[in-house]
Amino acid sequence: MLLFFAVAMGLPLLFLVTGSFNLSPPGKEAVYGLGNWLNAFRDSDTVDALSMSFILSAVRLVPAMVIAVVFAWLIARTDMPGGNAIEFFCWLAFFIPDFPLTLAWILLLDPNYGFLNMLAGYLPFVDGPLFNPYSFWGIVWVHTSAGGIWFKVILLTPVFRRLGASLEEAARVAGADTLAMLRRVTLPLLAPMILAVAMLSFIRGLQSFNTELLLGTPAGIYVYSTRIYDYIRREPASYGEATALGSIFIVILGVLLFFYWRFLSGKRKFTVVTGQGYSVVRVKLGKWRFIAFAGCLFYLAIMTVLPLVFLIIGSFMRRYGFFSISAPFTLAHWQDLLSDPIFLLALKNSLIIAAITAAGGIFLYSTVAYLLVSRRAAFGPVLEGLCWLPHVLPGILLGLGILWLFLATPLRFFFYGTVWGIAFALMLSDSPVTTQAFRAGFLQLGADLEEAARVTGASWWYTYRRILLPLLAPIAGAVGLMNFGGALTSISTPVLLYSHQSRPLAILLLEYSVTGELERGAALGLLITAIICLMMLAGRKFGLKLSGLQ
Amino acid sequence: MPTIVTLFFILVWAIPALAQTRASDKEWNALVEGAKKEGKVVVAGSPDPVMRNQIIPKFKERYGIGIEFLAGRSSEISARVRTERGSGIYSVDVYLAGPDTTATTLYAEKMIDPLKPLLVMSEVADGSKWKLGKIWFADPEESFAVRAFSSVATLMFINTDQVKPEEMRAAKDLLNAKWRGKISTEDPTTTGSGANAAARFYHDQGEEFVRKLYLDQKAVRTRDRRQMADWLARGTHPICLSCREDDVRPLVKEGFKILEIFSLADMPGSINGSPWMLTLANKAPNPKAAQLFANWILSREGLAIYARGYGSVSLRTDIDESNLNPGNVPKKNIKYFDDTDWNWIVTGRHEYRNKVWQVLKTAK
Repeated sequence: MLLFFAVAMGLPLLFLVTGSFNLSPPGKEAVYGLGNWLNAFRDSDTVDALSMSFILSAVRLVPAMVIAVVFAWLIARTDMPGGNAIEFFCWLAFFIPDFPLTLAWILLLDPNYGFLNMLAGYLPFVDGPLFNPYSFWGIVWVHTSAGGIWFKVILLTPVFRRLGASLEEAARVAGADTLAMLRRVTLPLLAPMILAVAMLSFIRGLQSFNTELLLGTPAGIYVYSTRIYDYIRREPASYGEATALGSIFIVILGVLLFFYWRFLSGKRKFTVVTGQGYSVVRVKLGKWRFIAFAGCLFYLAIMTVLPLVFLIIGSFMRRYGFFSISAPFTLAHWQDLLSDPIFLLALKNSLIIAAITAAGGIFLYSTVAYLLVSRRAAFGPVLEGLCWLPHVLPGILLGLGILWLFLATPLRFFFYGTVWGIAFALMLSDSPVTTQAFRAGFLQLGADLEEAARVTGASWWYTYRRILLPLLAPIAGAVGLMNFGGALTSISTPVLLYSHQSRPLAILLLEYSVTGELERGAALGLLITAIICLMMLAGRKFGLKLSGLQ
Repeated sequence: MPTIVTLFFILVWAIPALAQTRASDKEWNALVEGAKKEGKVVVAGSPDPVMRNQIIPKFKERYGIGIEFLAGRSSEISARVRTERGSGIYSVDVYLAGPDTTATTLYAEKMIDPLKPLLVMSEVADGSKWKLGKIWFADPEESFAVRAFSSVATLMFINTDQVKPEEMRAAKDLLNAKWRGKISTEDPTTTGSGANAAARFYHDQGEEFVRKLYLDQKAVRTRDRRQMADWLARGTHPICLSCREDDVRPLVKEGFKILEIFSLADMPGSINGSPWMLTLANKAPNPKAAQLFANWILSREGLAIYARGYGSVSLRTDIDESNLNPGNVPKKNIKYFDDTDWNWIVTGRHEYRNKVWQVLKTAK
């Protein structure tokens, strides 16, 4: 396993880092030196952008984590009505494509023509525009609405659901109220996953890009990922400088991992599922249950449904956001999309790629996580570090590294230009989230479950397949669906690996985005979201059934 | 006697000419057959709806040969092709790339073959079918990169509800305090049309002008082309320095009062080779099909599709231009600044772009 990851994740990084020291222009004989690194870091704009990225990522992490934990707890641990529906909407919100969603927020908040600003203008005490999306807080707001927060809810809900009620009941008996129980029992027990999600989110926040590009540039707000993007976009592209800048993420990851491992070191402190009785009784909220439901619904309505409605309307508009033109609505974008000569082939390819990515990821990373948690893996920290690598490399650099990997090894004969190759690359890029989700899940399972199986003569494989995996079915369902959806929308990894025969839908999305066909892009984004919804309904039901928690 | 002499000369001239035509036909038929045996041609370029929706079906209909189109941003395509070639894989036959990629990557890194000797289709090789009397090869050796279009580019767009045409006669009018915060541009601090426009302003008007226009006038920057076009139509920023014609044209059709300005009193109009330059990959995997495609795309049928699709002015003489915006058609007696000039792309623009970045950086 270690060898596999060293080759699959370490080699691309090695190619990239080696390439970053090559100073000669592309196509010329290599001359090595520090020039690219010095160029990248001595630019004062780089330092400014990095500090802006840190501030933005940190500022939005705190409220987003609080909101996500509250959502996950209410959905999974309480008797709030409509929990399943709320969870469904969280998933839906996660898969709404962020670019058109940001545009929807612009339509709502623009100081000159924003719908909400126009409404606010009718209030007697409001003088001038109330909202401005082209600002620091505008960016934070849109991020709080976009996938980031729902990503956390999706990952946290299964582990909250997994939590046995016995410890909470004990806390109740000892006189703790709901808040004290949440603070002293529930959250500490779930700390591994909460910390892992916070780390994933923080690094993800540092790499965030589209929203900052759209809302930050007019306000003169530049972030670190924009700097990397600029180096990659140059003619000819400066991948050396881009890799040098990307290396900062590896340093940050190293520091975060150090503290994470220190926190987790010691005996299993997070076991919540054992063989000695397991209760999933939910916390009773009393009269607060309806208030909680209304609060969740209100938040979802404002942050998701409102921009989603604009997005849906936008896909039927001749010009997105222009209501004043004559006959503003049309079916043409949907008709054009569905009649696009390559649409059906791309759809088929995407579904195959997504299915392989999701299934392969579940199998591979549940095994990795098991090895990490059971301490069966030699060089566990190295293996875990390798699993985190894809999360710190910007997508296009990861794609370039994997391209090198394919072309420099015999993998090229099977993988290059095929749906299998794209699925393999996407599976690698999914490793941090999937491994951490399974790891947190395994940490919750008591060793006595395995021991009991072994005593009755079950093999490791049988135990793993029949006891551990079914218990982790909700987590497997969650990350599987997340990876399925991610595979449908990921652009930067497949763009360097696809061929005409293996072209996925995401490349069509790229084409629509580059050529400014926003409405058709919105239609395709919605179609992908609809596919994911269908998979979600089926998959979630299947996951819950397996775990016997319906 | 004179009749016999005339007949003799006609025969002396006509027989070789006919023989040449027949030979060309034979050569052409052999090329088509060879291309059909290869069965496909791989074309790489920027995402291109005209290619996807019109060129691919038309070429298939004409020759029964499929086009596999690899679309991506130029940096992505370059990185991919460079890495493939480093591993001995040659997957692309033809590039339809922008002038920057063509000059600074494909030509500079010797990824392309001379195309000139391969253009054998009679209506392509015939100089009389081209406005310049021959095919325009833009590279220094006049053999590798075909420039098939030359359209007058828009210098800026204005929303005439807010900016009257008479208020925008010269470049200095842009510096009128009235337009502070009203001008939008694609971000000039990174490569792209915003930086190219700024380089042109620096070249024609100097450093001080650039400082005043981009900093004192608080020109609003964006990285999204649709955002600029929408701002222009709504009047939020009624002067757009780097909007794209294909984004704005639908808005004009919708009745928005948008005017294209092609030149100013102190700034002559410019021409460019958009949407692409044509080059042929060396070690192409499907060389016959590549040659066939290159010839066909430069034929009347091929170029007419692109001219219609992008509203670009082709360099062929036999393509109907009545459906084009007259402003985009170069006038005979005007000397234009050539934004796709090879030297300007390789050195001039690069140099001025760096100067612009320096101005914008020092002002922080």
